[in-house]
Amino acid sequence: MNQSTPGSMAAWLDGVRRSVSRVGWPVTDKDRAAAMISSLFLHIHPARVSRHVLKPTYTFALGLIAGILFLVLSVTGLALMLYYVPYPPEAYRSMKDLQFVVTFGIVLRNMHRWSAHAMVAIVFVHMCRVFWTGSYKPPREFNWVVGVLLLLLTLGLSFTGYLLPWDQLAFWAITVGTNIAAHAPVVGEQMKFLLLGGHVIGPMTLLRFYVLHCVILPLAMLLLVSLHVWRVRKDGLSGAATQASPEEEVAGVFPASTKTYGLMALSKRPRASVEARDPNDEVFAWPHLLYRELLVALAVIVALHVVSLVFMAPLEEMADPTRTPNPAKAPWYFLGLQELVHYSTLVGGVIVPAVLVLALLIIPYVDRDPKGSGRWFAPERRITNSIFTALVALFVGLTIVGTLFRGANWAWVWPWR
Amino acid sequence: MPSELPDPVRRSMFAIGCIAMGAATAGFLAATVRFFVPNVLYEPSRRFDIGAPSDFPPGGAATFLPDWRLYVFNGTDGFYAISSVCTHLGCNVRRGGPGFECPCHGSQFDESGQVVQGPAPDPLAWYALSLSPHAQLVVDLDQQVTPEFRLRA
Repeated sequence: MNQSTPGSMAAWLDGVRRSVSRVGWPVTDKDRAAAMISSLFLHIHPARVSRHVLKPTYTFALGLIAGILFLVLSVTGLALMLYYVPYPPEAYRSMKDLQFVVTFGIVLRNMHRWSAHAMVAIVFVHMCRVFWTGSYKPPREFNWVVGVLLLLLTLGLSFTGYLLPWDQLAFWAITVGTNIAAHAPVVGEQMKFLLLGGHVIGPMTLLRFYVLHCVILPLAMLLLVSLHVWRVRKDGLSGAATQASPEEEVAGVFPASTKTYGLMALSKRPRASVEARDPNDEVFAWPHLLYRELLVALAVIVALHVVSLVFMAPLEEMADPTRTPNPAKAPWYFLGLQELVHYSTLVGGVIVPAVLVLALLIIPYVDRDPKGSGRWFAPERRITNSIFTALVALFVGLTIVGTLFRGANWAWVWPWR
Repeated sequence: MPSELPDPVRRSMFAIGCIAMGAATAGFLAATVRFFVPNVLYEPSRRFDIGAPSDFPPGGAATFLPDWRLYVFNGTDGFYAISSVCTHLGCNVRRGGPGFECPCHGSQFDESGQVVQGPAPDPLAWYALSLSPHAQLVVDLDQQVTPEFRLRA
């Protein structure tokens, strides 16, 4: 090396670079495909994607945003763990430390809190998007089921995290939440005892929620997210229409595919995704998909920073089991259920959530008509979409009522008074 | 006798093996679930004394013990204790009207803890009272009693 000229130095550096990444900055189409396929981190993308799924108004990038939020939550969560002590009352003191003593602790905590709320909302809206575009139709039935499990995991992660600050808000929200669960028939009380690690919310509960929140549920999440993304890759990226809409055909934006070939005995891959691979309709994932993803990630992170710098995450006084705040409310995403529970414990706490989750799990196996997949509000799916939309509106309505219109003694209040 | 069929001994061994394997797995799962049930609870005792009978004013007025989430009464016919934990979602009920009111979802109970109004599915719990050798009132949260219960002290 000591006799190397500047030229051979560059070649040596290039050798190092090649040992890290086989493909350089892609210039040719072949390199663009290779860049995606040969990287561990990028190969969850196909080399080429349909132009339809790149239209921002088709997916609104909701799955991607949920993934980015999970990443942000993992990183900020790990940072918070360095200061958090999962034992009362030190748990509450470490929250105060994060807020007033640790440099940038308050920003990290705010970001963790707001990302968690955002993730619950985004995952829910993502589910609505997939439903309204009929994207759970074959061959994506199972991935819808995985998605429903991911929604439940997201709620579980958010709920277990809610107790950790050990303030009044945390304590009573978890009291109300776990008592809703305790109304389940036969096993309800035992489940509550297992979850709390005792009869009352105490140090054991905090430790259990901490381990669930920091280890068990995130690992389960990682596993299911991997499966979810893997299936997206194998079943085809989203249920995008293979045929252009009539307006697009007229405008010549996306020429209609006239090719219908199935590989039959040669491949076990489903017909639909074979047909979707119309070369006229596809662009290279590098740079078209990748740049869009980076842009979305940037926008999400900027938005999170702005929100975290402007809005403080709530921290009330330390948890006091002898003093119930009035009203005592569960986390906002359970307030629809709490509003129902206010009318009937059995219906609101057991029957409605069980039926809803069961219905979500089996819908792709009941509604198997492949028509109307890959388009927003396809006319063929008017009835299905109407029922779903009505249920979503009802649930969102109940949540809004429980959040904003319920005051002391759960009496009706007007939020602007 | 040569046969095309698999050896019946090997087949039944395989079945026994499968059953044993299944049983072992079930046992393992049961043991795992059992592991999550704590044997020692580091929480306040479920049986505790709350003071001498003379600490509670006679005449049926309620004494609220926030740490134990209990209302204790010294009635004309004896002592009794009613839980302040709402049977709906576990909030503390407070004295209101003739009986109790829950601030969380507006459940109302009469003076014996029976549900008058609201979403509470069950009446408030009554717990057994007894006298310790040191003449202290003792509450046992694991022993629920009917509203006829009175402790004469």
